[in-house]
Amino acid sequence: MKRKENLVSYLFLAPFLLVYIVFLAYPVIYSFFLSFHKVSIYTDMFDVFRELKFVGFSNYIQIITKDYNFWWSLVLTFFYAIMTIPAGIFLSLFLAIMLNNKLKGKTFFRAAYFLPNVLDMFVIGTIWVFIYAPTFGIIVRVLNFFGITYFNSTGLLGNPYTALASIGFAMVLKGCGFGMILFLVALQNIPESVYEAAKIDGANWWQELKHITIPLLKPVFLFLIVTGIMAGLNAFTEIYAMTNSSGGPNIVIAGKTMGATSISGFYLWKQFDFGRYGYAASISYVMLAIALTLTYINFKIIKPYGD
Amino acid sequence: MKRFLKYLLAYALLCVGAFIVLYPLIWMIFEAFKEEKYALSIAILPNHFTLESLKDFYTFSNFSKIVNEFNFGKYFLNSFIVALTSSIMTVLICTMGGYAFAKKNFVGKNFLFNTFLATVMIPGMMFMVPQFAIINKLGWINTYKAMIIPHLANVFGLFLMRQYIHQIPDALFESANIDGASEYQIFKKIVIPLTMPVVATLFLLTFLGQWSNFLWQLIVNTPDSPYLTIPVGLALFKGQHSTQWTLLMAASCFSVLPIAFLFILAQRFFIEGMTQGAVKG
Repeated sequence: MKRKENLVSYLFLAPFLLVYIVFLAYPVIYSFFLSFHKVSIYTDMFDVFRELKFVGFSNYIQIITKDYNFWWSLVLTFFYAIMTIPAGIFLSLFLAIMLNNKLKGKTFFRAAYFLPNVLDMFVIGTIWVFIYAPTFGIIVRVLNFFGITYFNSTGLLGNPYTALASIGFAMVLKGCGFGMILFLVALQNIPESVYEAAKIDGANWWQELKHITIPLLKPVFLFLIVTGIMAGLNAFTEIYAMTNSSGGPNIVIAGKTMGATSISGFYLWKQFDFGRYGYAASISYVMLAIALTLTYINFKIIKPYGD
Repeated sequence: MKRFLKYLLAYALLCVGAFIVLYPLIWMIFEAFKEEKYALSIAILPNHFTLESLKDFYTFSNFSKIVNEFNFGKYFLNSFIVALTSSIMTVLICTMGGYAFAKKNFVGKNFLFNTFLATVMIPGMMFMVPQFAIINKLGWINTYKAMIIPHLANVFGLFLMRQYIHQIPDALFESANIDGASEYQIFKKIVIPLTMPVVATLFLLTFLGQWSNFLWQLIVNTPDSPYLTIPVGLALFKGQHSTQWTLLMAASCFSVLPIAFLFILAQRFFIEGMTQGAVKG
């Protein structure tokens, strides 16, 4: 009987397990193997990994000691996360609090803010390229109206100081509806009686927000921070769509020329695109270490479910 | 009076916000219908509003051009095939696996569960290089299966199904067993019908994910591949005709409008499915 249940279970699990092993488990190991190798010069797009050369730790050493572009990409990723995560949370929470009132047309607003979430990232990015464009883009025109002509020749995405922030802004607008719904659901789960009790104790709205609402929304905060970090580390499509395959306008820091939007996910793709597969694999591992550390720290600091 | 002003302010803010959030979409639609000579104007209506000027301002030709000369009909079909096949197969595989995890005991269950869970913590970008290597070795470059199969083991989907199937009362399975139902019959007659709500959620999430999957579909296709999907086709088009905004936006409509239309028809289902799916998984 026991053996039969084992067999049946594994039969049901077999398709999932097969794909999992081939395309998720094995890649983690293979990537580790690859990170100690270099791919020789290849010519055939259809058989790229024919010749691998063992290079020991040299990929990792190169990343840690010489590759300033990689460290720059981490700095940019950090900036990107610092810009988008709090802004996204703030905007989502703000919208949720507004919509938590008894308003007519609530369903319409809910849908309107959520809609951009379901749409294709590359397409939305492409549309924003026009919005941010020099001379004819709407943002530049609005700025001109206020007498600001600084962006007329480059647009917002062509200026190294605004390029990444502009991408972040577009992505916050695209994503805020999602967080809004999460906050709305959490807000509606807070019993009315808690607020009534607070009112009797003479709490004002700020105290209510600080001592009741925000603490009870903790799991949502944690969720948005963790997914935000993941999105930052995985950010590629929005960068590719909005500043092309170049990694953005050049910026010169300490005598080195670097791409102003070349954040880590994009940099990883760039290495891949150059055919440096072994090197890209080792970058993946360094990024994995960073991602796991950050997630661990998050859970330690926020403690979503009490102590 | 104070209350009224507060409401007015709230509405004003919400309306402005909604306009800003939806602006890219609105603009895309108008731009897609404009004649090329008006492409760089931010106006959405002609200056002098007559029938002639409207005819001069708007056109359907962008759409026919994008289909006839630039192959977007084919890209649309490819996107649809990839997204549909992926969703059907993901749902089936995850329901089967979820059933085993929810209602069966087997050797290695906890080990597998924890291993799957660990995978969720890995940023997706990390899989790009090794997955590409495997596809390359299998000789799957420029195929549908390269775009579909690697994403089928959806760990999040497995957990979602497991959670849901877990709530189905055991008594149902026991009585089916007593009646002598085979495992296949139990799966078909009990598990599938009872999990329909969450099946629909997972189907939708997978479909949307694959519909807008860009990076993976970019790297497993060469530019001359016959299986390019809309986002990749759009990227290619953008690389060659970056200044033809009206055509670019008409092409964008192919990706955005079907999804937006579906969303408007079934928005409650979309919103609840996506957010609950995220929280529970």
